[in-house]
Formats: sequence, structure tokens, C-alpha cells
Amino acid sequence: MTTRRPNPFLAARGPLSRRQLLIRAGALGAAGMSLPALLAACGSDSDSDSGASGSTPATSGSTAGGGSGGGSLFFENWPSYIDPTEDGLTGTVDRFMEATGIDMRYTEAFNDNNEYFAKIQPLLGRGEPIDPDIIAPTSWLANRLIALDWLEKLPVDQVANAANLRADLQNPSWDPTGEYSLPWQTGFAGIAYNIDATGREITSVDDMFDPEFAGKVGALTEMRDTIGVIAMSLGIDISTLTTFDEAQPAFDKLQEAKDSGQIRRFHGNDYFDDLSNGNLAITIGWSGDVAAIARDNPAVRFVFPESGATSWADTMVIPKGASNIDAAAQWMNFVYDPVQAAQITTWVGYVSPVAGVRDEVEKLDPDLANDPLVFPDDATLANTQGFAPLSEEVEAEYDAAFSAITGA
Amino acid sequence: MTNALVRQGVKRPETLGLGALILAGALLAAVGTRILTGPLAILALALVLASIVALVVVATMGTPETRRKIAPYGLLKPGMLWLALFYLAPLFTLLRLSLSTLPSRFAVEAEFDWNFDNYVTAFTDFGPQFQRAFVYAGLATILTIAIGYPLAYVIAFRGGKYRTLMLGLVVIPFFTSYLIRTIAWRSILSDNGVATGFIDAVGATWFFEAANIMDNGRLINTPAAVIFGLTYNFLPFMILPIYVSLEKIDIRLLDAAKDLYSTSTSAFRKVVLPLSLPGVFAGTLLTFIPAAGDFVNSLYLGSPNTTMIGNSIQDQFLVQNNVPLASAMSFVLMFIITVFVIIYSRFFGTEDLA
Repeated sequence: MTTRRPNPFLAARGPLSRRQLLIRAGALGAAGMSLPALLAACGSDSDSDSGASGSTPATSGSTAGGGSGGGSLFFENWPSYIDPTEDGLTGTVDRFMEATGIDMRYTEAFNDNNEYFAKIQPLLGRGEPIDPDIIAPTSWLANRLIALDWLEKLPVDQVANAANLRADLQNPSWDPTGEYSLPWQTGFAGIAYNIDATGREITSVDDMFDPEFAGKVGALTEMRDTIGVIAMSLGIDISTLTTFDEAQPAFDKLQEAKDSGQIRRFHGNDYFDDLSNGNLAITIGWSGDVAAIARDNPAVRFVFPESGATSWADTMVIPKGASNIDAAAQWMNFVYDPVQAAQITTWVGYVSPVAGVRDEVEKLDPDLANDPLVFPDDATLANTQGFAPLSEEVEAEYDAAFSAITGA
Repeated sequence: MTNALVRQGVKRPETLGLGALILAGALLAAVGTRILTGPLAILALALVLASIVALVVVATMGTPETRRKIAPYGLLKPGMLWLALFYLAPLFTLLRLSLSTLPSRFAVEAEFDWNFDNYVTAFTDFGPQFQRAFVYAGLATILTIAIGYPLAYVIAFRGGKYRTLMLGLVVIPFFTSYLIRTIAWRSILSDNGVATGFIDAVGATWFFEAANIMDNGRLINTPAAVIFGLTYNFLPFMILPIYVSLEKIDIRLLDAAKDLYSTSTSAFRKVVLPLSLPGVFAGTLLTFIPAAGDFVNSLYLGSPNTTMIGNSIQDQFLVQNNVPLASAMSFVLMFIITVFVIIYSRFFGTEDLA
């Protein structure tokens, strides 16, 4: 016991001194922690390259003929937001590449508008271009980007199909001249729940605050949807908000729920797993997302709360300095063709901004053509409100109050 | 002129060495913080280079006595320059940023204007996050000692020929990314997952609920899960230093204690424990400091009510774009940790570490 064998694992020449150990442990720490922490910072916005169209369009060559030109295009969008190539059907991205010969890259880097804005701000704010040619901010963020002069005007004359834009979306409040944006999809935020976890049908926002579901409730980090849905349940008209005080009760209600531990987590577009496996019994979610989760797990459902749902629009815009504007115009033209748009609608289950899609969907899936979540009738629309456009100072107040609840 | 300098330097080699060291460090830090830019920066870098050359020239031309006196400064130089460029310069930049103001909400560049409001906000708005960070990190540190010390003890004194293997097993988790290991716990601890299923099956749910580890039937997204995650992730950083200090202990000291009629317990208490305290001290620093700034565990295993200061800093940096405030928060965190470490080393530190 008196002769000690040197430890070959740690040191070739005898036991380590503490100093050596500290140095090695430090190196280990640097490798084991700093890097992953950094990765986490980058990874938490769930960058996933072309997850939707499983066939990695980024690498597909532009070999398919039939189209004019070629070139390349990069579209950065939200997850589960386009029909992928699967089950013998060709996804929209692949159909587009085949039709035009353009080499298209499609990613799903959006998880949350604020997160995405923070990501592009250092570049666009310095007048440097970002990689994507088209990005998909929600209307209010598109409005901010227009005001900051960080967008290129759309080459409208090259997008003939833009004439198919739904009448109610022409010259919208966020882009009064309609020169900078075309809607990608529109839809609703309401209540998403997992009936296996709730044990009963959910009909109202009050159910979110039922102590029975303590710690199993989620909410979106998208302020306008979370605060919007709650405010509507308190009888506040969110389409006419002009000051912060009007929405204060909704913030108070959310704060209370967070403080009491009712709310498990605030999430961006990354709530599919938690909702599907029952970690979240009930949350605020987006209509088409929930339809997509429900395809795999029928226990997941979406309802319009009795007090109503919020309506929103995600847009396609071209960031300043984008290099493939012509290809972007071709893409917009392509997806504004009702025949193509119908393919997207059938898969994503959102409300298409393209007029004439219903007739095309009728041919593909007659049931869907009668789904009020996808083709809302007047009664459905009467039960929805869009969040009022806020002035910059008021928006700052809303954002600060909301991030004090969610982020901090 | 060079000759004169060299001759002068040869007369007072230590003054020349120190002067060159400080000058080069300051110049490099100034370039790193972009106080000197353009041609001035190039000039500064040339001066840094010249100071290195001067040291070498003096050392080679001088007597053995000169070389002996100048050697320490020469040896310090690489480390000093590294620190100046990668520690002092960023620290100064961060300090400057923390006293800046964003001219408008979406501005990219903050303007330096001695804005101490950032520090006021950091203290007033993020008190609970600071508290949680130190409480969680403190509890995790205590848990890692409780788990790590016995383990290190067994490996060091009872490991025998398996000692290497056992140490290897401690380190093996590092072969997988920290992030992936943490995310994996999400599915293990999820509401309908393996862990809750097992606890339910053995009927121990009431115990976990009573101990505040479970909350309404869930293990994850609770404070306990965050503390558990920190403990799990930082355990090896506690085990390794404790192991080293235990392994260094001469086993004959224990035999001597026994010869003097000491019981095993008091031999441990009076011989092994004091001799291993430096390892515990080092392990505590390696665990507590990174744990207090950690945001990954709270992000993936926590809830809105478990956010630690690391999460808030990350949110301010990467989501709210408030870089000045985030910098101020980082500084406050650094300051508090420094104070903790100083106090801790006063009471428990050993002279060779503190």
C-alpha cells in the first residue's frame, strides 16, 4: 500500500499536482461548457435546414429543365409552413425548382419574431445584407422593417399573380402601399390542447387558468397572440388598442398566472413535442400548427375560445441587399398561382392569402374546403380580431411589459 | 540610438523588462479596444513587436547576469500579451458598453455616455434572477460535494487497479455535448416519461410532492429539475480536484493516526479531510462560478419561475437587443461572484489557491 502506482489515465509521469489538474479541468471546462453554451445560444432558435421538405432542396441541383434561366434563391421561413416532398407528393419547393430551374434553399429558422429580429439586426442595421432573399416576418415586424428601411421593394411588375391577393389583404395597415410585402399565410391564434392531458374538452380561455392544470399551461412568446387571446377573454377589443393601459388587465392576468406557477413555459414555434406528449395540457397555439400535430396525434386539438381568437398574417419580404430579387419574384409568382397555393394550403392548414384557392382545394380535399379554420365563414371571422397597429412608443411599452413576464 | 538604449538596458535589465512588458500590454489592450485605430494601431503593433525584439536583443547581447535578471519578464510576456488582448480588452469593452445608451430602440451601436442607469436597472429589475442564480448554484455545489466527495474518496483509496477505469467513467460524459446531455433529461423527466412512470409505479409520488421535488405530478420545469441539472452537469468538476488532493495524501499518515489510537472517524476528520480541503475548494470554484452564470439548465429544465441571471442576460443580449443593459448585468454578476469568492477563500481557502 505504500508504493502508489502512477495514474496513466491522467498523467504519464506520476500523479497530477492540483495545479496540473486545475489546468486540465479548466481546459475540459472550456471544451465542455463554453462551446455548448454558445451553441445553445445559437441553437435555441431551432435552426433546422429544410426540415419541412425532407428532400434537402438546398443540395438539389438545378438539373431539371423546363424552366427559364436558373440562378438561386434562399427563403427563410417558420417551421411546418410548407408542403414537403413526402408520400409520393412533390413539395412546393421541389416543384418550383423543377419548373424554373432555380436552385432553391429553404430553411425554417423562424421560431419567434423578436428572436429573429435580434439575429438580423446587427447586419441589416449596419447596412450589410443577410443571406436569405426572402424572410417571413409577421405583419407587425414587417411594418417595423419597412419603417427602418431594411427592405427592398418587391418587383411587383414581375409578380403577375399578385393580382390574386385576397381583397381584404390589399394595402394592409402594416404596408399601406403594398410595395414591400406579400402575405405568405394568414391564420388564427387560439387554444391548443391535448385532450389526453386535460381529460375534457376545452372551450374558453378561463380553462387556461384552472388550477387543475397548474404547471401544464403554455403561452406563445408572440406578445400579440398571447396578450390578444387573453385580452379578448376579458372583453377588451384588441383591434382598437392605442395605449398600454387598455391592455393592462391582460398583462396582470398573465403575470398572476406566471407567478402562481400556472404557466410552465413560454414558447415560440417549438411547442409541438410538449403538446403532443402531454407536458403541455393546454396552450395558446396557431391553428395550422395544431392541425399538423393532430395528423400525428389526434388527441391534440385546436379551438376558437368562446371569447374569440386573434387573426394575424405572416409576410414574404425581401431584406435590403438581397442578391436574388428576380428569383424571389418568380417564387412569389409561383406560390400566388392558386393551383400551387392549394397544395400548400392542403398541407399547412392555414388561411391562404391567395384568392381562388378554395376551388382548387375542393378538387384535392373536399372536406378541407369546408373547414372554417382554413376557409373561414363570416361567423368565424366575426369571432376574430387582429391586433391593432401600435405606435413605436406604445409598442415599446407593450414589449417591455411582456418581456418582463416572459423573458426575465 | 538603439545601441544607447541597449547599453542603458543592459545596465538596468529589470527596468527595461518591466517597461517593455507594461508598454506592450497597454498598447495591445488599446488596439483590442479600438482606442487606437488605423495607422496608430499599426504603429502600436510595431512598437509591441519592437519591445519583444528589444528584450531578445538585450538578453542575447548582455552578460549571464543580465539574462538572469531579464528572463522572468521575457517569460511573462506571452501570457501578458494574451491577457491584454483577450481579457483586458474585452473586459474594458464590456465596461464601456455597460455605461452606454442605445440612441434609439433598434439602433445597432450604443453610444458611450456614462449611463449608470443600466446598473440601476440591473439591480432593481433582476433581483429575483440574481437570487435564484446564487441559490441554485449554491445548492448544486453542496450537492456535488455530497455526491462527489465519497465517490472521489472511494476511487482514491479503494479504487485499486480499477482506479483509472473509474476516473475514466467520471470523464466519459464529456464526450457528449453538454447541450445534448441536458436536453436528453427533458425526455427522461417528462410528465409521461420514464422517471415519473417509475415514481408512480413504486407509489412514491406523495414523497416527491412533499419534498417539493415534484409539482402537480411533474418533475421537469421545476426549480428542483434546474438544480438537479446543474448538479449533474458540474459533478465531474467537483470529483476531479477532490480526487487529486485525496490521491496525494500519504496513506502512511492514516497508519500513523491509527498507531496513535485514533478511530477511523477521527483519522478521517483530522487527517484526510483537512488535507483534501484544497480539492474541495478548487472544486467549489469550478462548480459554483460557471453554475451561477449558467442558462442552459434553466432554459431546458426550468420554467418562467426558475429563470436565472444567465437567462436574463441571454435574453437581453439576444432577444431584446439591449446590449448595454446586458453588459451591466454581466458586470454585476462578475462583481458578486468575485466578492463571494474572496469571502469564501478567506474562510476556507488555502494559501496556495487564494
